[in-house]
Amino acid sequence: MDYMQFVLAPQMLNGLALGISVILVALGLTIIFGLLDVINMSHGEFYAVGAFGALALGALGFNYWVLIALVPLFLVPVGVLVERLLIRRVYDGPDRHVSTLLLTFGLGLIIEDLLKILFGPNTQRPANPLPGATEFLGIVIPTYRLFLIGIGIAVIVAVALVVYRTRLGAMVRAAAFDRQMAASLGVRVGWVYSGAFAFGIALAGLAGVLLAPLYSVFPTMGRDFILLAFTVVIVGGMGSIWGAVVAGVLLTQVQAVSALFISPVWADPLVFGVMVLVLMFRPQGIFGRIGHA
Amino acid sequence: MKLFTTTAFAALIAGAAMAQDGPIRIGVLTPLSGTYAGIGQQVRWGVELAAAEINANGGIAGRQVQLIFEDEEANPAVAVQKAEKLFSVDNVDFLTGTVNSGSTLAVGQVAERFDRLASTTVSFADSITTAQCSPNMFRVNARAGQQSAALVAWLAAERPEARVYYLGPDYEMGRSTVAAFRAAAEKAGASSVGETFAPLDSMDYSQYFGAIRAARPDVLYTSVAGNDTVRFFTQLEEFGLRQNFTILGASGTVTAQNIDAIGAAADGFLTGVGYSVQIDTPENKAFVEAFRKANSADPDLYGADSYGLLFAYKAAVEKAGETGTDAVRTALRDLEWQTPQGVKVIRGGDHQAVQPMYVVEIAGGAFDIRSTVAGEDAIGPDLCERF
Amino acid sequence: MHDRLDISMKANHLIGAVMAVAVLAAAGAFAATGNSFWIRLATEALILGGLALSVDILLGYTGLLSLGQALYFGVGAYVSTLILRDTPSFWLAMGGAVLASLLAGVIGGLIANRVRGVYFALITFGLAQVMANIVYNTRALGASDGLIGVPVLEIDLGLTTVDAGNPLQFFLLTLVVIVLLYAAIGYLLSTPFGRVIQALKANEKRVGYLGYSVWAPRMVAYVIAALVAGIAGALYPMLRGFVSPELMFFAASGNAVVMVIVGGAGTLVGALFGAMLITFLKSFIGSLTEHHHIFIGLIFMASILFLPRGIIGSVKPPVERALRRREARAEAAAAKGALR
Repeated sequence: MDYMQFVLAPQMLNGLALGISVILVALGLTIIFGLLDVINMSHGEFYAVGAFGALALGALGFNYWVLIALVPLFLVPVGVLVERLLIRRVYDGPDRHVSTLLLTFGLGLIIEDLLKILFGPNTQRPANPLPGATEFLGIVIPTYRLFLIGIGIAVIVAVALVVYRTRLGAMVRAAAFDRQMAASLGVRVGWVYSGAFAFGIALAGLAGVLLAPLYSVFPTMGRDFILLAFTVVIVGGMGSIWGAVVAGVLLTQVQAVSALFISPVWADPLVFGVMVLVLMFRPQGIFGRIGHA
Repeated sequence: MKLFTTTAFAALIAGAAMAQDGPIRIGVLTPLSGTYAGIGQQVRWGVELAAAEINANGGIAGRQVQLIFEDEEANPAVAVQKAEKLFSVDNVDFLTGTVNSGSTLAVGQVAERFDRLASTTVSFADSITTAQCSPNMFRVNARAGQQSAALVAWLAAERPEARVYYLGPDYEMGRSTVAAFRAAAEKAGASSVGETFAPLDSMDYSQYFGAIRAARPDVLYTSVAGNDTVRFFTQLEEFGLRQNFTILGASGTVTAQNIDAIGAAADGFLTGVGYSVQIDTPENKAFVEAFRKANSADPDLYGADSYGLLFAYKAAVEKAGETGTDAVRTALRDLEWQTPQGVKVIRGGDHQAVQPMYVVEIAGGAFDIRSTVAGEDAIGPDLCERF
Repeated sequence: MHDRLDISMKANHLIGAVMAVAVLAAAGAFAATGNSFWIRLATEALILGGLALSVDILLGYTGLLSLGQALYFGVGAYVSTLILRDTPSFWLAMGGAVLASLLAGVIGGLIANRVRGVYFALITFGLAQVMANIVYNTRALGASDGLIGVPVLEIDLGLTTVDAGNPLQFFLLTLVVIVLLYAAIGYLLSTPFGRVIQALKANEKRVGYLGYSVWAPRMVAYVIAALVAGIAGALYPMLRGFVSPELMFFAASGNAVVMVIVGGAGTLVGALFGAMLITFLKSFIGSLTEHHHIFIGLIFMASILFLPRGIIGSVKPPVERALRRREARAEAAAAKGALR
């Protein structure tokens, strides 16, 4: 019983907080892939931009709760610009996957360096807006993590509702499934693509704001989550929102619980091993793609 | 910013003819980009201040000092390439600045092949001046062994029979620092109640808290560094564990690079280190004041050690009367010189600086000195067998 | 005969020959002025060019983007280092590196070749990442510090000996190795089997419909690419005297991809040209500013946007046209001769 209360249960709850964090980062990645068929290698850097945005605006006196809405909004025009000026130019080229992947990889290099020029190389951290811990069934969990789990679930559900249940979402999915057909039905495919990319970027920014108090802020932070986020997206099925959720929770629980039994250094190879196995035996992931579900 | 100065370019064209009466060129090969850029910044500030002061007072043996910076990106492969460039194109007389021990070891080998001298002011892996020592590499900062010697002395005096838990970053350096501290602490009467190694760049340390809580330590030793410290400490605080025990750690655990981000969670952290802004000597006060004026930031151990190095080189060149490798090496061996940190001596047998060590405790963002260990008591045996 | 692939490969050889002459002339000039750094930098560029060649076999000829090719470069470099620290023999080190990268390539290929497209890119990325982390944590391999102490070799080539400490001699040796690799790849790609490999890039489904195995040529291309990277990697410690896990990190793999894209994918010589260009650019820009990532990123993005075929890829079409015209003339002359 003690083991349950002091070791296993907290471990799983912390794993859940980490899982929600990863899902928040992976969500935008999977939407951009599912709808645009683009691997966004600069996603981690946009996550960093969100965190630095929160830091900079916070220093100007904005309330943290306002920033949760404000920073993603600021990233929308950035996302539209990136899609219009960069992605679109190579979108119809011979090898879309490779050229968009490489283009966003180059963009990531530039953003990371720009962040260093603007904010310096040192680590920074916005103050925790909800300090203190809450006791819950005898398990101590920091209040901010509870909040993160709550808002994370809300964001995930909201995103899924928008994509799967609204007319806008239907248009977007139609454009992803068959571009010509959607266009001939009057969907403005160009804007749908820009909008979907901007939405994905804004989600990365939101993840940056929400996770900054937990994981601190520094120019190279974009690399932190990206391998795990990619793994989640692949295991879940590229472009599947529910897939990302299931895979995100599953993989972080595997990591959290395995850390109790094996050296944590093997957690990375373990998670990666899961990815390899999924790719080998079920390359479409646990769930299918958004437009193709 | 211009790293490759026009004078350096002129020197390249003029070639070796200038070498004896032109400026003394010192290559500073340090990470200016990437994860260690914060440390590189301190190195840069330290050597720049020292060079400015030396030049204002007539230079080294009448020759001005010229610094040539290169970015080593904390990558030994880049460091080696740039070191060759500094030695053969820029024709530097001396090289410093490397941060990670892989770069320092590899650059030491390059220095041997070019028959030039180099010194690190940051790397603290014991191997650099023990098993993998090089006749062409010096170290003016305290190595891991010196740091833990100071800390263990404090532990024995203040917390005899402590229950100690160890958490290190899971790579070679992290494991060896923990092993060294653990052995010394147990000898001093502490009992070990647990040990964990977390991967570098871990997002979440909370997964280890269950085990730490269960072991009920009264002292926790850690050698995590950089961003990892920020996460580890703030997460301890989040979970209300920060006040349950005293945290001791490596000198690189909390530095100017991350102390702001850690905030209040850093308070009460103790480390064995070769430098603190609080050292109460006229030399240090002048240094801190000049450093703040030049960079609007406090120096940390890296800035101080890098600053001190140029004065060691100055003393050695002036003692040798020339900049030739053999003469300067002989002069650097057993050299005694004044630094903001006190008097340092370079041990001839392994090229390791002997210096007073301080146990400092962080209080409100400042490094308060709790005790001092004399240099000879912290240095440990000379294990270098190559020269 | 107006065989497109044949003309394309001939154009590669022609451009390659011009480049080789230019590089030799430049090396001669540096050697004459006595500045060894630039010759050694060019040697490093050639070695990295070997890694870029390996990326180009996959990206430019098989249509597979590998984001983890540095893994095999690292395998070659580590095996070569371990052997050289023990027995300073060039041939033993090369042999060991060939065997090890062959083995690693087969294992990696069995894993990576189960998937296509972006999945292939991501799985190679992950594979290299995990291996690099394992090396980073293995004490016997020097862990995070890497291994130093690779001796300066005396390389016995039968007719002559090469002193690896002599910049020009080792440069020439590296050049010979890279040219041999280039020639071997060029030859392989022009064989019927090589044509099947290239057909995979054009349309993988159709290759299957035509009754060819799809798996075997992909696998062969992957293993050869691993081998090329491993051989190039084996040369690295002979030049720099050490290895470190950073050689296997994503930055190294990504760098090789940048070289291929800027130089021109699917041209082989483009990979070598890109390696020269990027290595020297990095050295220059890195000395001017610490914000070199911005410049490399901008050059890279500009190249994808405005020069999607890369520099060599853009120079190639006129060369191909000229070759085609000459071939046509030669044919016409032959036909005339036959008539008489």
